[in-house]
Parts: sequence; structure tokens; C-alpha cells
Amino acid sequence: MNPFSYLEALRLAAPETALAVAALAVLFADLGGMRGESLRHRAILGAGITAVGGAMALLWLGFAPGYGTIAEGVLVTSPLTQLVKAGLVLLTLLVAGLSLDPRFTGHVGEYFSLLLLGTIGMMVLVSTQDLLMLFLALELTSLPLYVLAGFNKRDRASAEAALKYFFFGSVAAAFLLFGFSLLYGVAGSTRLPVIAAAVALKPPDALTLVALVCVVMGFGFKVAAVPFHLWAPDAYEGAPTPAAAFIASGSKVASFAVFGIVLAQGLGPMAGGADWHGFTTGWLPLLAVVALASMLLGNLAAIAQRSVKRLLAYSAIAHAGYLLLGLMALATPANRPAALAAILYYAITYALSTVGAFGIVAVVERATGSDAADGFNGLARRSPALALCLMIFLLSLAGIPPLAGFLGKFYVFVAATRAGDGSLSLFWLVLVAIALSVVSLYYYLKLLKRAYVLPPDGAVPATRPDVMEFVVIGMTAAAVLGLGVFPRALLEPLALAIQQAGF
Amino acid sequence: MTEQTQSYLFLAVLLGVAVAFPLVMLGLARLWATVYSPAKPGPAKAAPYECGLESTGDAWVQLRSGYYLYAIVFLIFDVEALFLLPFAVAFTSLPVGAFVAILVFLLLLVEGLVWAWQKGVLEWN
Amino acid sequence: MSTLQSFLIVSALLFGIGLTGVLTRRNAILVLLGIEFMLNAANLNFIAFWRFGPNPEALTGVMFALFAIAVAAAEAAVGLALVIAIYRHARTANLDAVEELKG
Repeated sequence: MNPFSYLEALRLAAPETALAVAALAVLFADLGGMRGESLRHRAILGAGITAVGGAMALLWLGFAPGYGTIAEGVLVTSPLTQLVKAGLVLLTLLVAGLSLDPRFTGHVGEYFSLLLLGTIGMMVLVSTQDLLMLFLALELTSLPLYVLAGFNKRDRASAEAALKYFFFGSVAAAFLLFGFSLLYGVAGSTRLPVIAAAVALKPPDALTLVALVCVVMGFGFKVAAVPFHLWAPDAYEGAPTPAAAFIASGSKVASFAVFGIVLAQGLGPMAGGADWHGFTTGWLPLLAVVALASMLLGNLAAIAQRSVKRLLAYSAIAHAGYLLLGLMALATPANRPAALAAILYYAITYALSTVGAFGIVAVVERATGSDAADGFNGLARRSPALALCLMIFLLSLAGIPPLAGFLGKFYVFVAATRAGDGSLSLFWLVLVAIALSVVSLYYYLKLLKRAYVLPPDGAVPATRPDVMEFVVIGMTAAAVLGLGVFPRALLEPLALAIQQAGF
Repeated sequence: MTEQTQSYLFLAVLLGVAVAFPLVMLGLARLWATVYSPAKPGPAKAAPYECGLESTGDAWVQLRSGYYLYAIVFLIFDVEALFLLPFAVAFTSLPVGAFVAILVFLLLLVEGLVWAWQKGVLEWN
Repeated sequence: MSTLQSFLIVSALLFGIGLTGVLTRRNAILVLLGIEFMLNAANLNFIAFWRFGPNPEALTGVMFALFAIAVAAAEAAVGLALVIAIYRHARTANLDAVEELKG
């Protein structure tokens, strides 16, 4: 084994290091010089430092990307990981842009610092092939998110959301760790390729199956799939809106990316089969049940919601179901590049529209004092631009062409149809998914009807976003529209990176 | 009997004595109590303190939340020391990079302490 | 029954006890205790697999357990802080009282 090179490690982890330095800087800048300043000024300083750190990371990722592997897979960087990381940093910057009016807290420095630390966790999460690093990165992602969910100390709902998120999250982490410990026992190593080789040797025994179920449960929680979804609606509703946007976007992209990596590279040989008329042991049947339940419950429960944040939470559960369908397509090795590209395209465009939608919720919430759907009545008359953006986001989430959400769904469904080497084994799930997408249109349109058709309730104060909120909402709307019309702008780099990463 | 099992035998004997000794003492005390001082409970005897001031209030007092903040800060610093032990054991055979890495780790801990200090977590008033 | 098997049975029992605690206890602190049980069951697995595995020279299992302990402490700290936060509002650590968000 080569001696561990710290310089090499620093070179590969330079973007993460830039964000870590920014996280410490923002903490001390807020603590040191800004004690007497107004919240607004402190937030601008915090977001500014966050932006500088993010820009450094992005520049590094874009112009001096270091590719390599240290310590046999503890940290792996390839064009693919760098691309996903760039997406994660961008999402964090967008969320930071929504956080310039932090009336939910007096601890501005800590807020931005946690945001950055969570991002570092996500970045490490997608660029490792070692279970130890994976677990650490997952916790580095989760712990800041728990705290961010409970950041509004004056609001009881926020504390409650954080506590529920924390309890579900740590039980899931315990399951994941238990599963990892069994995988380590099976393979004698924590590296994913070694584990893949070990599980390929023999048909799955009890130990491997318990490990598999534990791992699927752990990740199922992270992506908020039924039946591990219970935290999501409460966390989304109770958490401060920018924090909810962060939980719903960046964490989703990173979780799906790492779930895919673990399933494809670590547990690929024990996929099993999820054919309509006969399940065979492996992770495919598990995912099939979870995906089906997520799509059904997510879409049906969303119809009954009065709070827009809860509606977005249930829609997130439904989208997790669609994305799990994409993950199932990873089981067929020949299908992997296309499926991975579809998943990442879907996850990134979904995250963009979610950040935008949460941005609009934040603006409306500030004007009306709650996130109830009633507050959206007559939004088109109060603020036409905001209503237009809302329409773009919701229709993209529903999967209407020419928006990015439609193409994401299309590519994922195509990949799932092609899975199983032309046997159409997952086609039954694709049919269910398409049918439920139509159902989802109903509740998105119901919200749009409030915005465009219904008159405003009495005297609602003017609904005006501040400058940065407007920039963020506008940019995400433009991106969702643009990526829908020119999908190649994202798909081609993705395909190239996946090819270079050796999938 | 090999030397190794003999050294374990010593431990077993020690364990036996260590268990037996307090048992004998407790038994004797019990015997003494039943013969010379049978239990006669009364309100004065059942009081937490038989002399001194009357006790007031509940034992389940509410602790200030600052107390818990102390505890949490202590918990973190206590457990992070975990990484220092392997470092200290392997210190002489480590390259310079490892030394710098552990210094960065310690700096982060110090930064955490400074932050807690500045935030007033450590003030007890 | 080999030694490794008995270790695995103990760890599975520990995990089960922890999970039972999490599911049945209504006091937030006791739920936290249950979670620690589950994490430590996994740690026991790591140590057992390392000790009785094919190559105990590689210290992977021990390292994993060490890091897991540190992470568990960080998690407990965050959990306790959140319990204090909810206590300030609800004046109780009983989870039955914590159900304002529904739907």
C-alpha cells in the first residue's frame, strides 16, 4: 500500500476545504465584528462569505479539477463526482440567496456555517467508495440539517420538526451502521468494489440479506420514501423555509447519488428481480415495493394538504418514488450509464424547481404570516411575476412539457422500461408511475387555480420578494425552463462524465 | 499446569475472595441487625435526615439549561479526545503530514471552545 | 456455535433491545438511549468481525468503531440540544406531548 499522501488528499478535497474555511470564517466574522449590527447586515455578510467560498469551490471544480483516488477509494474524484458537486454547491448558493431575511433566528453566522458544513457532507458523500467515509459524510450532512430544521428557537413547530427529523434520522443511521457492519463482516473490507466481489461469490445468505434490508432502510429514510417518510411532512412544515428548501434539494440530490453508487457498485451482483409475476431475492423487489408505496401515498396524501409546505413534502415523497424507479434501472449493467444520467438529470432539475417553489412559499409566508394554501389566493393579481414562476415550478414538478420535470420523468421511465435487457420487467411500475403522475397534476393545478383564478382574500399585504429572492426564484425558473428546452446542456456533460468515470 | 493457567488461577482466587469477603461482612451485619436492632419505622426515622433542618421542596429540582449546555460541550470535547489516543500511541512512526493533520484537528477543537466562550455558553450566572 | 456467532447474537439482541426502546418509550431521553444501544450493537459487530475475520492486521473494524463512537457522541449532543429546545416550549420531554404538526 502506498503511503498516504496528505498533499494529494488536500488537492482532491480542495473544493471541500474552501467551503470548510468559509464555514469557519462566516462563524467568526459574525461573532467578531458584527455584534451590534442589524440582522439584515449580518445576513448579507454571511451570505457574502458563503458566496465567496462557494465561488472558490466552483472555480476549483470547473478549472482545476483534480481526478484521482486516495487510500484505495476513501476519496474518489472523477468528472462525474465533480459535476454533481458543482450542482450541490450551486443549490447551496441558491438557498443562501433565499436566507437574506433571517427573521427566524439571531444566530446568523451559525446558520450559514451549518449550511456550508452540510454541503461539505453532501460533497464527500458523492465522492467516496468506502463505507466508513460514507457513514461519516452522511452524518456530516444529517447533523447540520437537524439543527437547521430547529433553527427557529421561538417557534415550537420548528423545535418539534427538528426533534422528529432527528429521531427518525438517527434510527435510520443506526440501521445503516448495522447494515454496514454486516457488509464488513461479509466482505472483510469496507470498500464497495470488494463488497461487490464478495456478494457475487455466493447466493445471498441470511447475513447479506439483513445487511441489505438495513442499508435500504437507512437510505430510504434519507430520500424520504414510504414507509420511512414520516419525518418529511413535519420537517418541511416546521423548519424555517430556507432550511426546508435545503433539506428538500441538496440533501435529496446527494442521497440519491450515493444510494445509486452503493446499489450499483457495492451491491450490484445481488439485485434480484422485480418482475410483475415473480420477485427474486435481492434489492430490486425491496425497491419495487418502496417505490410503489411512495408513489401511491405521496400523490394521494398530497391532495388533502392545506399547507403548501406539506404539499411539497408529499410531492417530494412521490418524486422519491419515481427516482427509486430510476435506481432500479441501475440493476442492468448495460443500462447503467443511461439510467444514471436520467437519475441525476431528474434529481438536479427537481431540486432546482423545489428551491424555487420554497422561495415563493417564503415570500408568500412573509406577506400572509403562514404557508396555508389560502395565502396563494389571487397571487397572480398581487404579483404576476411570482405567479408565473410558481406556474413554471409546479408544472415542472407535475411533468408537463416543455419543462425540465417532464424530460426528467421521461428519461427515468425510459431507463426503467429498458431495464432487464428488453424483458420489460419493470414496465408495470412505469405504468403505475405514469398513472400517478396524472393524479399529481390535480393537486398542482389546484394550487395554481388559487393563484390564477380565485380572488385574493380581503386585504392581503403586498407580496413582494426582496432582490436576492427575486434573483434566485427567477434564475431557477429560467433554469427549469431552459433545461427543459435544451436538455443537452446538462445531459451531454453528464453522459461524458459518466463515461469517463467508467460506469 | 502451565505457567499461564497458574497466573489465571491467581486471578480466579482473587475474584473468589473479592466476592466472598463483602458477602460475609454483609451477612454479619444483617445478623447483627436482626438480633440487636429490629426495624421500628416511624415518621421521625423515615425522614431523609434525622437531625438538622426540616427538608423542603422536591429532590427533582429543575436544573438551569446552562447546566445542560455545559454537559453537551463537555460530551463533545470528552469524546473527541478519543482520536488523540491512537495518535499519541503511534506518534513516533508518523509522517509530518499526520502531525499537521492532527494539529488542524486540535485547532478545530480550540475554535469550537473559543466559539462557545464567545457565545457565553461557559458563563454561569 | 463459534465465538463469532455468539457475538453476532449478542449484538443482534442489543440492536433489538435498542429498537424496542425507541419504539415503546415515550420519554425523549430514553429514546436517545435506545438509539445509542443500536449504534453500539453495530460497533460490537465491527469489533467481532475484525477480531475473528480473515485479516485482523488491517484495523478497519476498529477504526470504524472509533469513528462511530465519535459520531454517536456528536449525534447525542445534537439530540440533547433539540430535546432542550422542545422542553423550553412544551415543559416536558414526553414525546406524546409533541404532536402539534399533523396531517
